[in-house]
Amino acid sequence: MSKFSRRDFLKLTTDGLLTLGGVLSLGGLLRFLSYEKDPAPPSEYDLGPAINYLPDTTTVLAHIPAALICKGNNEYLAFSLVCTHLGCTVEQLNDTFECPCHGSVYDSEGQLKKGPSQKSLPRLKVTRNEEGNLILHMS
Amino acid sequence: MKPNRFHLPSIAALIAAAGLAIFILVLLPSRGQETVEATPIQSDNPLDKPIVSEPPTQLDEGALLFWGVCMACHGNAGQGLTDEWREVAFGEDMDCWTSKCHASNHPPQGFEFPRIVPALAGGGKLGRFTSAQQLYDYVYAMMPWWNQGSLTTDQAWQVTAFLLKMNDTLPAGIPLDGKVASAIPVHRKLNTPQNDVPFSLALAAALVLIMLGWLAQEALRPAPVPAEPAAGDRPKGRPQRPNFIYHLHPPAIPAAQARWRYTLGAGGMAVFLMLVLAVTGLLEMFYYIPTPEEAAISVQTIHFFVPLGALVRNLHFWSAQLLVVVAALHMLRVIFTGAYASPRRFNYLLGLGLFVLALLLDFTGYVLRWDEGIRWALTAGTNLLASIPWVGEGLFRFVVGSSQVGPSTLVRFYTWHIYALTGVAGFVMIWHLFRVRRDGGIASPPPTLESTPPRITRFDLVRREVLGMFLAGIVLILMSIFLPAPLADPIRGTPTLATDTRAPWFFLWVQQLLKLGDPFLLGVLVPVAVVGVLGLIPYLLPAPAKEELGRWFPARGRIAQILVAVLLLVILGLTALAALTS
Repeated sequence: MSKFSRRDFLKLTTDGLLTLGGVLSLGGLLRFLSYEKDPAPPSEYDLGPAINYLPDTTTVLAHIPAALICKGNNEYLAFSLVCTHLGCTVEQLNDTFECPCHGSVYDSEGQLKKGPSQKSLPRLKVTRNEEGNLILHMS
Repeated sequence: MKPNRFHLPSIAALIAAAGLAIFILVLLPSRGQETVEATPIQSDNPLDKPIVSEPPTQLDEGALLFWGVCMACHGNAGQGLTDEWREVAFGEDMDCWTSKCHASNHPPQGFEFPRIVPALAGGGKLGRFTSAQQLYDYVYAMMPWWNQGSLTTDQAWQVTAFLLKMNDTLPAGIPLDGKVASAIPVHRKLNTPQNDVPFSLALAAALVLIMLGWLAQEALRPAPVPAEPAAGDRPKGRPQRPNFIYHLHPPAIPAAQARWRYTLGAGGMAVFLMLVLAVTGLLEMFYYIPTPEEAAISVQTIHFFVPLGALVRNLHFWSAQLLVVVAALHMLRVIFTGAYASPRRFNYLLGLGLFVLALLLDFTGYVLRWDEGIRWALTAGTNLLASIPWVGEGLFRFVVGSSQVGPSTLVRFYTWHIYALTGVAGFVMIWHLFRVRRDGGIASPPPTLESTPPRITRFDLVRREVLGMFLAGIVLILMSIFLPAPLADPIRGTPTLATDTRAPWFFLWVQQLLKLGDPFLLGVLVPVAVVGVLGLIPYLLPAPAKEELGRWFPARGRIAQILVAVLLLVILGLTALAALTS
């Protein structure tokens, strides 16, 4: 141990380089696989003229998926329909939204009523553009 | 001795040939289903209601709907609103175009009669539709044009079937629905859907006959071949060497290692199933297209239209399901007989790794269907990865190939399934088999004082393996005939609600756990902990002594046995609970 021979030095260097090479290759593999080819989902959706949504109704926008509640006097409330537990789309059942995968239940405004989910459905911002169309903001 | 050895193989060969002959004879009529399609009968007067059979088939219902709703504009033979048709159908009213003229019963104020109505039948018609699914989508959403959206899905399929029949492109013998419609072209006449049953039965029968012939041959073999002839006994000339298959086996093993009731034959069965999976999977690759648009359609094509495609797909599906069962049995055997004890500890870990790989292969293969049946299992399964703290996000992207499940996901899963996981599993499997021999064969009691403990030769061993393969092959084919692998409507845009939200059966227990709360704890930590506990058994718990090996439930392995039995019962209980509460 006291004597660190030339052979020991070479062995240590080689092992070190091998390890480095392995780590680099692994990093390279991860980098290679990290590219995202698919476009990101849109950050906002045009929901069309506000007058299409009658007061005191809930509209399920299945393609987003989100729900839009029109409360009258130009007040709109929207929330995502992606279950906060594991991402299934919740289904509207009477006055609630239920997740078909693991059974979480949310009320008519997306507030959590029953787990396994821990959080309510996320609220989404709704604005109006110059043409009077509703714009749903996803973040 | 000599004449026997000459004649018996030829008897076996004769029986095998007879089996093959049957099999070839049945092969010819097996192409195409011989069903007589009841066609709705049209009487001489084109305006008469078509006469249909009772109960009406899907096509009959379509004919009635067409007669009642579509015919006024599209013509009795789908010719469109031609001058001739107006004369035939409306007589003196033929030139009246105003509301309520031809269709007084239409709600609520009648409608302007359209001047131009496209023809529906004949060459070049329905040009904008490629598949029956597209035609259905249009009919469902747009027809009848004065009351769009009034057709139920069933009615729209009935009308679509009738339209295909008019164009002579309706395949006989299968009801038209989302599970097949994407694979049916509107403009090209298809072979009738393939009926693989006669061929499959012939194949099973041939296997039975070959097996019987071979068993007869073996039973009448006069004397056992000596295990390893002494050097002096070797015949002169070319030295006798085992062929490759025999070479892979030891010359002889203790008979105690090869008892069915001890090994259950489960390990060997798993190898056989892996081979079946490799072959059938390779065949599926010739037709499977890993793109979001085409994947489900290509699976429908394999399943309904490729000759013997359903057989290949069902064999692949059932082999994969049975592999999970057989591998689990193998693992239980090893634990309940204490065979994991040193020096087989490492090989036990390899086996456990193979089991996890088999589950991952099953899950990725299941996702490749890319239809509504897998949608939520894929969503929940990949989001489970994302729920892991710190590394979850990165792991999710690594597996899914994007920030959300999409086209890249399918390509990734395809690569995981057919190459990456398969390659690793193949490698570990060979290692696992190699280690069996390196560790001194299957765990068995130590040699007794008996001077010559019974041994079986490699010839006997191969014979048993072949017997197992025949039996398993027959069972697999029969399962493939009577229990088709599942299919659902292709994934297209927005999810259709109320589809199957069940996990695949081997993950049902995890899904049931997830209903209780935190995804990371219940969906990731618990399954990982189960695998971890199983992996640590040979390292932490007392192992059976050498004298105890080779039989079931050795006393010193009791803790491991009870632990695993409890785990097994919990998992089976959760699975049953999930299966019962849909």
